[in-house]
Amino acid sequence: MENAAIFGWALLWILFWGALGGVVTPRIYARKDLEISQASFGGAVIGAALGPFSLVPLWLATPKITSRLIGISIALVVGIFIAAFALADPDNLCVANGGFVVSQLANGIVIGIIYGLMALGLTLIFSILGVVSFAHGEFYMIGGMVTYFMTAQWIPGVSPIVAILASCVVTFAIGYVFELIFLRPMGSGEIERPTEYAILVTFGLAFFLQYFTQALTSAVPVKAQRFFPFPRVEIPAESGALLTTTPGNVTIFDAISVPNPRFTAAVLALMMLAALLWFLYRTWVGKALRAVSQDRQAAAVTGINPNSMNTLAFSMGAMLAGLSGASLVQVFSWLPQVGIPAAARSFVIIVLGGMGSLPGAFLGGLIVGLVEAAGTGCIPDATRAAAYIPAYGMVILTLVLLLKPTGLFGREL
Amino acid sequence: MKMRRRLIWTAAALLILVLALAGCAPQAETVGEAEPAAEEAAPEPTEEPMAEESDDMEMEPIKIGALAPLSAPGAVVGGEAMREAMLIAADELNARGGIMGRPVELIIVDTEGLPERGTAVVERLINQDGVVGIGGGYHSSVGVAAKEVARDNGVPIVFAETWNDTITSVQYDEIFRIAPLSSEVSTVDVKFIQWLRDENGMKLDKVVILTENTDYGIPAAENTTALLDEAGIASVTFSVDIGTQDFAGIIERVKAESPDMIVTLATGEASYNFTQQAADAGIGPQDVPTMCNQVSLVSDAFWTNVPDGNHCFVRRIGLPQQLYNDVAQALVAEYSARTGKDDIESYAMASYDSIMLIAQAIEDSGSTDPSDIIDALENINHMGALGPITFPINRSNTPDQAGVDPKWWHQFPDPAITIVQYQVEGQDATETTVVYPDVYQTGAPIVVGQE
Repeated sequence: MENAAIFGWALLWILFWGALGGVVTPRIYARKDLEISQASFGGAVIGAALGPFSLVPLWLATPKITSRLIGISIALVVGIFIAAFALADPDNLCVANGGFVVSQLANGIVIGIIYGLMALGLTLIFSILGVVSFAHGEFYMIGGMVTYFMTAQWIPGVSPIVAILASCVVTFAIGYVFELIFLRPMGSGEIERPTEYAILVTFGLAFFLQYFTQALTSAVPVKAQRFFPFPRVEIPAESGALLTTTPGNVTIFDAISVPNPRFTAAVLALMMLAALLWFLYRTWVGKALRAVSQDRQAAAVTGINPNSMNTLAFSMGAMLAGLSGASLVQVFSWLPQVGIPAAARSFVIIVLGGMGSLPGAFLGGLIVGLVEAAGTGCIPDATRAAAYIPAYGMVILTLVLLLKPTGLFGREL
Repeated sequence: MKMRRRLIWTAAALLILVLALAGCAPQAETVGEAEPAAEEAAPEPTEEPMAEESDDMEMEPIKIGALAPLSAPGAVVGGEAMREAMLIAADELNARGGIMGRPVELIIVDTEGLPERGTAVVERLINQDGVVGIGGGYHSSVGVAAKEVARDNGVPIVFAETWNDTITSVQYDEIFRIAPLSSEVSTVDVKFIQWLRDENGMKLDKVVILTENTDYGIPAAENTTALLDEAGIASVTFSVDIGTQDFAGIIERVKAESPDMIVTLATGEASYNFTQQAADAGIGPQDVPTMCNQVSLVSDAFWTNVPDGNHCFVRRIGLPQQLYNDVAQALVAEYSARTGKDDIESYAMASYDSIMLIAQAIEDSGSTDPSDIIDALENINHMGALGPITFPINRSNTPDQAGVDPKWWHQFPDPAITIVQYQVEGQDATETTVVYPDVYQTGAPIVVGQE
């Protein structure tokens, strides 16, 4: 980094005024007997954006802190951060190479969509059952394993769509049976300490699924072939300036490059997301699920059976994890332990987005995907950029929890 | 009633779960043990109890420990191969009557490729299982950590596949190695790269090194960088955690460097993931000359995980198959029969030798005392699958006396290193073309990406 001091001072500015705004603003709003739920978060981002130039007017006028005000402030903070980085390291690829930036963003969005889909399953389970499933990574692993074995071993040549559907059926069925046997007693009050019970029993399921799969398939990594290899196309012909596809890659405008397996995985994830949203918002059962997540007793009064909704939610959550795995088994080498880092990332995402929030989980996935891509692409030290991948999401999570302990879309307690 | 039925169901399911976990959980694997039933049988009254006890003592198995990564994030493919080879060694020893007339019990433990796990399992092997020596070992970081436990307990380890120079350069009496030194492998890598440039006219101005953040990867990348620098070749190193899956971001950065060659120093699944994801992004082995990790020589797993991996260059430790000695040929025959593979991986071969070395040292010393075994290992001349194995730099011929670097302490000096290349898609590792050095060459290299 050529001018590290510029970046350092900008960071110091953001942190100092952000911290000051976050601490002082709620006190001022409380003294004036105003709404303080957004005061800490709003004060922090408004302070981080323009320092004393925004904090003094804020403290004097004490306007209502709206989402729009917060959004504009966040955009300003990100803008200052990027400008300081660009001034500090003008030769960095993230500054000097537009094509590289767009490719990194595209890769971040693509993987973020899949992270989001997986986290959606976890948050769906939490919002209905109030349980954090520690076996979520194993459902992800099983989804991939079923897809691989269907396409490569059991029925070679079968359509990947059939294999993905099979993985959905298998993970849904495991989730269904497990909920009926082990989690249903929680809902009917038969378990004395349900929180601890849920942690232990889902942990048990995780270990069982992992080692049972290892016993069945061995620990040698496997990988499915590309589901839908692209034809070789160049538009316009010869130059391919607009679009070039090879079996493994698509390049748009000669700059944005996305590998085929990620592209198809993201498209599958988006399709599944659309189907899930349709189900949750357009069908009676989906509405019943959302009703149980909002108020269990009230939903029961209207004739919805909360226990059935529990079973459905756990099975669907497991299926969403399985689907994520099924779409990614063509991207990564697959092992019985492949779900461990994926589950850890999902936990980060649902806390970041707000426990139990469906939009929060999806947005959290996108944010983590983008931050990981930006961190990997822009950290100047090449020997460290990728090594910090697990840390990028944690940094964002820490910041969000400091400023908004309920997460981005979490319900206020 | 309903609740009782549910509880019964739950109890039944829990029982199944526990049984399944007990059956499937990774545990120390042993071979050659006495039958448990015999151990549990009530002792019959005898007229000569002392003599019986003495016989039992003599027939008590000699326990040898074995290290292998058998679950992620370790290089499981490598670990599985090593386990099979070490089991063959134990079976062979027992088939020919054991060691000093006593059966051999091989206790294989899973290091997971993690140093903390390696330390724990070596501690257990020595202090709980009572092994007299330990063989195997894949990851350098495990070796670096495990050598301290061996040192503290005075038990010898013969490392089969841990390359980090410091494992031997610390000059511990207990530590022996038949794997090559990392710095020597780097030298071969860079000589090969120079040879491609100087003898084959390949454009080679910049090399990208992808390494793992381990005791193997970091020093190997530093050595390679220094040697490339001496050769006038620029290099950029990217490092990743062991077990990394997603390389998309780093691959874009590698692309932006426009490398003339990529060298992968990441082991296990990470190497598969990187190579195939690079191929998807258009900088795979068919686009840019790529030196893949040696785990690529497990050809079935390699082609499953890296279908676009043709033209990978891979360093291979050990002699080419046509130069195998009788021991190696017999080992390959047995290994092939058990695994269905046509050839044996170099680290599997070294693992076999590591167990056989300990066995011969026990025979030579006539004792199971670890210090006697160490003495015997220092003076050993063992005809192994890797060739005649000796440790010429030892307490009676120290590095200072011999005028060599301390890294040669208890180090097998002659592990052959060749560079092979996959030249046909789906090719078996045994059919790869040896492209370097000239003395072993079976064909010319295919150099891609040269316009």
